[in-house]
Amino acid sequence: MNFKKLFFATIIGSFLFTSCTDDDSPETPLGDYDNGVLILNQGGFGNGNASLSYLSNDLNTFQNNIFALVNPTVTLGDTSQDVGFFNNLAYVVLNGSNKIEIINRYTLAHVATISTGLSNPRYIEFARGKGYVTNWGNGGSTSDDFIAVLNLTTNTVSTTISVAEGPERIIEENDKLYVAHAGGYGYGNTISVINTTTDTVQTTITVGDVPNSLEEEDGYLYVICGGKAAWTGTETLGKLVKIRLSNNTVTSTIDFPIGQHPSNLEIEDNRLYYTVDSDIYKTTLSATTLPTAELFSTTEQGVYGVYSFAVENNKIFIGDAVDYSSNGKIYVYSLTGDLLTDKTVGVIPAGFYFN
Amino acid sequence: MTLKNRFLLFLLLLCQTIVAQNDTIVLKDVIISDTQLKKFSNTKSITQLNDSIIAKSNASLTSLLNFNSTIYFKENGLGMVSSPSFRGTTAQQTAVIWNGININSQLNGQTDFNTINSANYNDVTIRAGGGSAIYGSSAIGGSIHLNNKLHFEKAFLNQLQMRYGSFNTLNLNYALNASTERLSSQFSIVRNSSDNDYKYLNTNQKNENGQFENTSANLNLGFKINAKNYLKLYSQVFDGLRHFSGTLAAPSKSKYEDWNTRNLLEFTNYANKATSNIRLAFLTESYKYFEDKNQSFYSYGKSETAIVKYDFLYQLTDKITLNSLVDYSHTKGFGSDLKSTTREIFSAVVLMKHQLTTDFLYEINLRKEVTTNYKSPYLFSFGTNYALTKSYTIKANVSKNFRIPTFNDLYWQQGGNPNLNPESALQLDFINEVTTKHLVFNVTGFYNKIKDMISWKPNSNGLWQPINTNRVNTYGIETSLSYKKQILQNHLLQLNLNYGYTISENQDTGKQLIYVPQHKLTSSVAYNYKKLTVFTTHLFNGAVFTSLDNYYRLKEYNVVNTGVDYQIFKHAQLGFQVQNVFNESYQTVIQRPFPGRNYLLNFNFNL
Repeated sequence: MNFKKLFFATIIGSFLFTSCTDDDSPETPLGDYDNGVLILNQGGFGNGNASLSYLSNDLNTFQNNIFALVNPTVTLGDTSQDVGFFNNLAYVVLNGSNKIEIINRYTLAHVATISTGLSNPRYIEFARGKGYVTNWGNGGSTSDDFIAVLNLTTNTVSTTISVAEGPERIIEENDKLYVAHAGGYGYGNTISVINTTTDTVQTTITVGDVPNSLEEEDGYLYVICGGKAAWTGTETLGKLVKIRLSNNTVTSTIDFPIGQHPSNLEIEDNRLYYTVDSDIYKTTLSATTLPTAELFSTTEQGVYGVYSFAVENNKIFIGDAVDYSSNGKIYVYSLTGDLLTDKTVGVIPAGFYFN
Repeated sequence: MTLKNRFLLFLLLLCQTIVAQNDTIVLKDVIISDTQLKKFSNTKSITQLNDSIIAKSNASLTSLLNFNSTIYFKENGLGMVSSPSFRGTTAQQTAVIWNGININSQLNGQTDFNTINSANYNDVTIRAGGGSAIYGSSAIGGSIHLNNKLHFEKAFLNQLQMRYGSFNTLNLNYALNASTERLSSQFSIVRNSSDNDYKYLNTNQKNENGQFENTSANLNLGFKINAKNYLKLYSQVFDGLRHFSGTLAAPSKSKYEDWNTRNLLEFTNYANKATSNIRLAFLTESYKYFEDKNQSFYSYGKSETAIVKYDFLYQLTDKITLNSLVDYSHTKGFGSDLKSTTREIFSAVVLMKHQLTTDFLYEINLRKEVTTNYKSPYLFSFGTNYALTKSYTIKANVSKNFRIPTFNDLYWQQGGNPNLNPESALQLDFINEVTTKHLVFNVTGFYNKIKDMISWKPNSNGLWQPINTNRVNTYGIETSLSYKKQILQNHLLQLNLNYGYTISENQDTGKQLIYVPQHKLTSSVAYNYKKLTVFTTHLFNGAVFTSLDNYYRLKEYNVVNTGVDYQIFKHAQLGFQVQNVFNESYQTVIQRPFPGRNYLLNFNFNL
């Protein structure tokens, strides 16, 4: 046996492998990423591969990894959670990196970074020329959750507002902020109302368990509460709660059947949409009972639970996290549930932001 | 720096593959507890890294094995959590056996190889391939055996090793061996600490919050009651504190504490043809995870395991050795996220070795476990050893192995799935070994068909739960070569090479498992002249995929270390080493860079 030959072959073979892994040459940026939707891909936790994708309104132009294409020397970060638009800027909230990357919302050119004063940041909203970011603080603490108030001139956290555990989604209406306490690592059941003149909590409204999405329409706040899942050991009902904002009182509550845990509330053209598992439902704002049948289901596309959801421009957008490790998929449907297109995006498509 | 191999080359010199030993004699003056490793591993591919290799290696077991085997290690940055992939399998599919006892975590099923200090052992043996029939859960890719040898002869030896290197890295080992014909004692203590604040190459960042320190101590005692009866006690503690490093994209403020204890009491009776051995073991593991090092709250997990084992070895004829083991283990697992649960496992093992002719032997192993917590399959192993010529031996094995669900898999709150079954693997390997005066050469082909792989996936409610899902085939080739030659008087040349080619394919998706390189190569050259030794070691890791769709990957890398050792006095040696000589920028886990070029000074003292 000629061992020498075999071993040299082995070594040479392993170095040949080296040359097979060169990356393909990158695409070039499109220029302006308007008249379309920015898709936020969360990336794997710890993997630092948050990214943005773009799909034009006519569904004909699509590009992945657009932040990196425009800003090759900047890493977007780890576990992106939300994007907020304010004037010409987009604020990308990165939960894992504890930072906000500020970019031009159209060209995506990098503008600034806010990397101090945040702790487990989640969602962002704007009021009275200030930014408001929900923060969980440490997961193990129920008392260190806060809203960070951003000075948008200096790009710093100017003050914080202490709130109940697990502040998640946040929306602005009439210079007031409504914060849904889905509960962080626990389970919340309140909405905080924040006065943006004094930057204090004005009042708290109790809703169902785990308020995971909220929308305002014509003076009413609509809140979808997922309820606690069966695996928590104390399952509670999902609820659709309607609140009159003039006096912050609950005017109606519709319970979901046991075992159904809704999420992804969207209101578009006076129709209310939500999802349960892989099914999409549509109803009216004035309905007093839930629709008995889904609008359509995504099971045909193999979507295992709708990860992200939006209704805009007469289209329904659905993000599928697939296995949370591989690149995700987005599906675009007509309002009646006909599949118009699908695209492979980055890892864990977490949100759609229409630009 | 703890992970880089320091003195690899010099060590490698001493590295040898044990070839087809047909020993059936009880060695009464040097005793290891893991008798099956000696007596029922004749058909396996075995690599022994002895104490002189260990003494020259870096502190952690990760470093020792990374530079001396084809096992791939995935480390969350230098000194952080380290998990192996052996023959393309997962971290839970490599068993670590301490003096004959399986010490993989009951909580997560794997051993963190950066919580094992190799200096506490007299030898570390790599037993490649399936060994579940003997060693139980996790011995699918193979098993790593940590052995303490008790000597019954008059001896008194002090050893002190001090190392200091870049990033304020300090490693102190002290060992005392004192023995007589009746009494044997070993004491060792290892202390490691590092600021671990190395610069990330090609960035303006450094490794923040990566400091670590650990202390481990070992006390092993043997008492020869009379020529036929021995009593032994092995005892070990490990106390570690690590701050978990941030990544390129995410800062970290967490820290993690490990506290592990292992105790084993053993009584052995050697009769004419029979050896009886009773072992009582008590193992504890616990961790505390502080997500914010400045806060007092933490999450934790603990397990306590008591084992009673009866091992009966019987020499039926000159040619046939029988061994039966019955084993009862009782484990309690609890923690902040764990449903407090007790698991009892009863197992019975029968082993037979038959030396059919002087050139040919075979071994049969059978195991059955009974537990209330999951269904347990029959496990077996059948292997042959055939010496074709004096220097050429072939071995072949077929075995069925398993990995039981862990406490986390079964009882994690929320998500644990009490209905899991063990992962099981059917395995074949074929080993060629050539041994000549200067050379030991091994080529092994292996094939593993693994089913019911446990993986955590989100269900439709978004709850992550483990399920028995994937089918994975792993196959490939391992080769090793060691060469040692006295060239002129006082000149000694030693070469060592390991290469592994591994395919690990998910049968449902056709994709390679993440963090399994197709290629891994280690090599080393050492040259010794009188009191001077110079050496170079090299590690090549092929690219690994980091996402299930094989879209994302980490690129391949080469790390070269080189150093010199000089015997300054009769009892003292001084050394200097440059690690990562070529300043290679590399990661073994995505976003977690390893250090560039760094330096290490060492001083050894034996008396």
